[in-house]
Amino acid sequence: MDRGHLANTDEGRTPAGEITYLEAITAALRDALREDERVFLLGEDIGSFGGAFGATKGLLEEFGEHRVLDTPISEEGFVGAAIGAAWMGDRPVVELQFADFVTTPFDQIVTVAAKTHWRSGQAIPLVIRMPSGGGVRGGPFHAGSPEGWFVGQPGLKVVCPGSVEDAYGLTRAAIDDPDPVLVFEHKALYRRLKAPPPALGHRTPIGRARIVREGADATIVTYGSGVTTATGAVERLGVDVEIVDLRTVWPLDRATVLESIAKTSRLLVLQEAARSTGAAGLVLSLVAQKAFEHLDAPPALHAPPDTPVPFAPELEDAFMPSVDSTAQALERLLAY
Amino acid sequence: MPTEPCLELGSVSADERRALYRLVLLQRLFEERALALYRQGRIAGSFYDGRGQEAVAAGAGLALHAEDVVCPLNRELATHFAKGVPVADAFRNFLGRGDSPTRGRDGNLHFGVPALGVFPLVSMLGDLVPVTVGAALAFKRRDEPRVALTFVGEGAFSVGDTHEGLNLAGVWQVPAVFVIQRNQYSYSTPIAQQMVNTTIAERLFGGWSILCETIDGTDAIATFDAVRTAVERARAGLGPQAVEAVTLRIHGHAAHDDGGYVPDELRRVFEERDPVERLAARLALDGLSEDELAGLSADAAAEIADGLAVAEASPAPDPATLEDGVWAAPVGSGDPTNVQDFAHTDKEG
Repeated sequence: MDRGHLANTDEGRTPAGEITYLEAITAALRDALREDERVFLLGEDIGSFGGAFGATKGLLEEFGEHRVLDTPISEEGFVGAAIGAAWMGDRPVVELQFADFVTTPFDQIVTVAAKTHWRSGQAIPLVIRMPSGGGVRGGPFHAGSPEGWFVGQPGLKVVCPGSVEDAYGLTRAAIDDPDPVLVFEHKALYRRLKAPPPALGHRTPIGRARIVREGADATIVTYGSGVTTATGAVERLGVDVEIVDLRTVWPLDRATVLESIAKTSRLLVLQEAARSTGAAGLVLSLVAQKAFEHLDAPPALHAPPDTPVPFAPELEDAFMPSVDSTAQALERLLAY
Repeated sequence: MPTEPCLELGSVSADERRALYRLVLLQRLFEERALALYRQGRIAGSFYDGRGQEAVAAGAGLALHAEDVVCPLNRELATHFAKGVPVADAFRNFLGRGDSPTRGRDGNLHFGVPALGVFPLVSMLGDLVPVTVGAALAFKRRDEPRVALTFVGEGAFSVGDTHEGLNLAGVWQVPAVFVIQRNQYSYSTPIAQQMVNTTIAERLFGGWSILCETIDGTDAIATFDAVRTAVERARAGLGPQAVEAVTLRIHGHAAHDDGGYVPDELRRVFEERDPVERLAARLALDGLSEDELAGLSADAAAEIADGLAVAEASPAPDPATLEDGVWAAPVGSGDPTNVQDFAHTDKEG
């Protein structure tokens, strides 16, 4: 699998006292490796090279090759091997170079990892980290948001950090968790998001959404890079809109979504995954079934068209939800 | 023509021979009984057995220590018994009982008993090769003298996961053992339609430098001896090992398949090499009387009958338990603000 040219998404220096989303992930891995002997990392080029995006830089040097394993280019093989190690009580953390490559170990994930506990009572404490998302001119094989394939799959947990704090906290929580957890990191956030470092040992509970900002007139339900986009749209319009960051897209935190709709009566779902895949349909279905009487407007969806992610800047910009396009969708919802 | 006895190998003790005989008998008698139950409609779904391959399942199973782990497939019931799985639990799984190893969630041989080091098989061929390698990787990383073993049919040699797993085993030099079940057919497809070079041992060594001895898989003593050697080499840190066991799948792929595509002359060759009869012939040469052999058969038959009686008295699964155990740690479990309890007590949504 190719790599490398997409790694440079750095947009500037990090202010003193802050760390990036990517540094938060590295810190989470380092802290987990330090605290728990069972934790080890495996993936392509994660050792001395430090990973395609640099998430594991310095970890081989600190922990050695029994904790940080470079693998051959064989995702079915090393995801399957991680399942076997998890069966033996280890806490493997797999890095896929790009989330798009999750097609290759799909069978190991849904056939073996997801169903083993239900069938046998054997927990599989497996973490698979993978950089997802567009905005980096990656094209159809390096910019996808395939989390939707796993939304609804019994036995899996699927998390998508949208903040520096959750990049650390969800990674730690995923490593603690006895179930297989897929962590979709957003590659455009790696160096763009900066914040003060989370406290050592901070955990973001899996299955819990977060109210990013409170509001009264509508709710935007989103996750991943959508959190930044939604915040930009709300600030641009100067409206009183609540933003819910799902953080975990499966299983869904239905309570937080429904409580917010009960308060605001309007829903905009924003996601970067193509409109007919992913968590959006689940959120819309939930609200239609459980919050129908609360609604003052038809629930709205702002998401890319049902195409793969295109390469050319003109096409990708048209594909991706932006602050502008999200603000327009929000205005339409508020005007209904 | 008299049955050709198993090889006389001084390395396999009298106790081990009796243990092997018990295991091949248990698989044979269990599967005959279960096939009858299936035909009577008392076992649902589909039915697979390993007739003709009992010696491989028994020999490999007996070669493992209690602390070793194994991923058996569909023809390896005796491996479960060798690892200590009770006959009653196996019947419970075939019958879909609520207290079976899968609690009714899966049937036939699709079960494991993690507490005994037995992983539940999945139907996708090749998947368990990397899983086995990963378990062996854990042993190597932790410097534990343990071995992980799995079986690979020749059909699985057409699957990518098998090659990726074997490659990882070679690159990482982990204590994994692969027992190749060369039973001639993958469902209806003969080996020559599965691969160009049908000498699997050559491919294992040429491709991944994994030593592979080819043995007669109808000979329980030879199989046990070869797999034990492989297991102990792996345990000693000599890296991944393999044994290719040549058999014929006597029955069809499953009970609906009469195996009519197997040429009569091939079938006759292997029907004359019945693993149970070959081991009985060796035990007779060892000095066991007809009465003693009959006694061992009666013991195994009683074990089967007792296990079936226990299983048949076991409860059916309770539909209310269907959603139990999807996750080891359900989101919100043990938390009064459990998000799954909000505003909906029905199952949809």
